[in-house]
Amino acid sequence: MAKVTDLVLLNKPNEKILLLGNHAIARGALEAGIAVFAAYPGTPSSELTDTIAAIAKDAGVYMEYSTNEKVAFETALSASWSGLRSMTAMKHVGLNVAADSFMSAVGMGVEGGFVIMVADDPSMWSSQNEQDTRVFAKFANVPVLEPMSVQEAKDMTKYAFEISEKYKHMVILRTTTRSSHMRGDVTLGELPEEIINKKRRLGSFEKNPKRFVDIPAHSRNFHPKILENIEKIRTEFNNSPFNWIEGEGKIGIITSGLSYAYVKEALSWLNVENVKILKLGTPFPVPLGLVEKFMKGLEKVLIVEELEPVVEEQIKFWAYDKQLNIPIYGKNIVPRIFEMDTKRAVIAISKFLNLETPLNFEKLEESYNNINSSLPPRPPSLCPACPHRNTFFAINKATKKNAILPSDIGCYTLGVLPPLNAVDTTVAMGGSIGIAHGLSIALNGALNEEIENKKDTQLIVATIGDSTFYHTGLPAIANAIYNRSNVIIVVVDNEITAMTGDQPNPGTGDTPHGSGKRIPIENIVEAMGADFVEVVNPYNIKKTTEVVKKAMEIDGVRVIISRQVCALHRVGQMKRKGIKLPVFTVNTDKCTGCRICINTFGCPAISWDNETKKAKIVPTMCWGCGSCIQVCPYGAFEVAKEAE
Amino acid sequence: MVKEYNIVITGVGGQGILTAANLLGWTALREGYKVRVGEVHGMSQRFGSVISYVRFGENVYGAMVPEGKADVILSFEPVEALRYINYLKKGGLVFTNSRPIWPVQVSMGLAKYPSHEEIKRIVEEDFEAKYISFDAENLAKEAGNVISTNVVLIGALTQTPDFPLSPETIREVIKVSVSPKVIELNLKAFELGLKKANSLL
Ligand SMILES: Cc1ncc(C[n+]2csc(CCOP(=O)(O)OP(=O)(O)O)c2C)c(N)n1
Repeated sequence: MAKVTDLVLLNKPNEKILLLGNHAIARGALEAGIAVFAAYPGTPSSELTDTIAAIAKDAGVYMEYSTNEKVAFETALSASWSGLRSMTAMKHVGLNVAADSFMSAVGMGVEGGFVIMVADDPSMWSSQNEQDTRVFAKFANVPVLEPMSVQEAKDMTKYAFEISEKYKHMVILRTTTRSSHMRGDVTLGELPEEIINKKRRLGSFEKNPKRFVDIPAHSRNFHPKILENIEKIRTEFNNSPFNWIEGEGKIGIITSGLSYAYVKEALSWLNVENVKILKLGTPFPVPLGLVEKFMKGLEKVLIVEELEPVVEEQIKFWAYDKQLNIPIYGKNIVPRIFEMDTKRAVIAISKFLNLETPLNFEKLEESYNNINSSLPPRPPSLCPACPHRNTFFAINKATKKNAILPSDIGCYTLGVLPPLNAVDTTVAMGGSIGIAHGLSIALNGALNEEIENKKDTQLIVATIGDSTFYHTGLPAIANAIYNRSNVIIVVVDNEITAMTGDQPNPGTGDTPHGSGKRIPIENIVEAMGADFVEVVNPYNIKKTTEVVKKAMEIDGVRVIISRQVCALHRVGQMKRKGIKLPVFTVNTDKCTGCRICINTFGCPAISWDNETKKAKIVPTMCWGCGSCIQVCPYGAFEVAKEAE
Repeated sequence: MVKEYNIVITGVGGQGILTAANLLGWTALREGYKVRVGEVHGMSQRFGSVISYVRFGENVYGAMVPEGKADVILSFEPVEALRYINYLKKGGLVFTNSRPIWPVQVSMGLAKYPSHEEIKRIVEEDFEAKYISFDAENLAKEAGNVISTNVVLIGALTQTPDFPLSPETIREVIKVSVSPKVIELNLKAFELGLKKANSLL
């Protein structure tokens, strides 16, 4: 259980170690000899990005945290055009941001192998939607690989670079929350000399406007070439080490990626033998030669894949043309929503083969649901001492809850939960400002419009995080200022990209290669011509409330930068340095049991004591910000004499 | 060697659950097993309800323990044991830290935290499983720091009847995993958990 950085750089081929899927992909990229890696973080892809950042200097790799996925994509793409093996990584919705460049660049091809790692999130453990990147890959005509184990995640990464270089075509490595976040045993391969010797490689770019300038006259040549390439790769995949046929029988199961794992476990749980399996690691393009071989002599087939019927559609398309006349089951018995698992595989295979399930899952679910519905919910919450809580509290106080509160994607999205209830809309990163602006136009009109019988101005206060501001907030705020919006925008600047695990951004100015340039948000909005700009520290709740009130007195685009470093980040650093935190406590003589602290502020360290009927602080959860002192009207919170 | 062993670890984000799972994973690897550890990162880590899986044996492929197949549930918080009780096999075992952490909604008076007796009753009667709870946090304090609560619980876990991993291998993994300053503390926490569970079984 050594440090991740040591494990990923471990120069011991054939050694067996335990790695997280994302760490294994980092290792695979190193074994492939990448030179450039650029990404914007996003769960469940972030551990890959952070691992490359942590080892970049020790492996001679250039790594950057780009401001968004599109920029990251372009950075890595042009490194590939310069002959370097390069990579970018993102969560599934990141590909939407990169899509404009992604869709158009496919036909330009690559020089150095270029791999796009995209991490999907079936069941949406930490995402806003459940889109299946395999569909996107098919749409763009980009081959997609999908691992079923941590070993495959590593080996496939290396293979992806080889395929990309061989066919001069970009390749997607698609993981899911499960494959990214599962640990498994991995046998290491060899690291190339350049990586071991920390040798940073530089590329060279050869001009070729016919290839690299996508004016229509040039682009018309791309599409036929793309399709031709995909057919070649399809043929190559007939012999891919990640696609195989196993077992024998007249009954077939085709399965892709991690679903293979669930099928294997389901079959052994059901005690079913005599099933022929086609295991696919390349859901697009499906290797039809292998499919043809597999189908020979089969009487019926089931296709088990997670989310969309990507493999199923390709196979049914093929089967129709071949006039293959056997039943092919798929999404009619395998769920199309949420994550696949062994139970779902057992249920689908039992239906397919008319078998009893080994457990009565319906009964189990029923008795479980009875219990579960009576349990107190425990959604994630803002940390103790989180500055976002203070900002929302101040906004609620200043606006007396009369404002519409568009918000954005980040830790602060949790402001939607009680007791703050301070988030009314979120869509996608950067969306807060566009939505706030649109609401302002719809409800108030633009400031330069002449509108008769205008009603009272609807107060609109948007919140957006610092990282999100640089990601996609910038064009949106330019739009709002230009088009004379009437909104307050509070940048909740915790000086880090917190939600995804503390990555730096232009507001922190740090990069994996040393200090970059810090770009203060106040300078940006000043330069853009915002009507009001003020920076405030949310740990001072009174001052923050006053600043919001002051902003409410004028019209225009008013920007408040509420700046206080992320508590989780700060406390982590303090703990590492051995610095003790102050701990607060409740003076039960002063506490009236009014619950204002609990019902309006909601710090997880503040709990209710059923015996004394007063508030109490759970000492192990208090991170010592002292905000509770400012919240309690009776002065009941104080520093504990003895910090635990 | 067992062909399949399934451990479910539950609790509240921030309690050291991922570390515990990782430690058990390395132990199983050291004993020569094929290993899968499943964890959820991201949003739920922020004081939300968390579940993690440790599985090993030649029949194991995926990272998630199938419902109804966990040999044991190791819970860092009582209500979280109940929240994932559907994973436990018939006649399985629940080890839990007895200290509740109230969700905000309970403090607000919007939801009720079940009593200790109620939790025990549901596990024992509705799920026909064995329920063992003790104050692991207190033992961790005795060892020197509350942070070692997860190691106390792992110590307890080794006392599960027919538990396939040897305590000695776990001690070895602890020694190479934690910083030298806290090896003694963690080994002590491990022994305290082990002894406590042994006395309760
Ligand atoms: C297009 C896209 N990329 C990445 C993510 C993942 N993601 C969710 S929140 C977030 C960053 C939030 O950082 P910030 O705005 O600074 O807020 P904080 O979490 O620090 O409060 C990221 C990268 C996403 N949801 N969508």
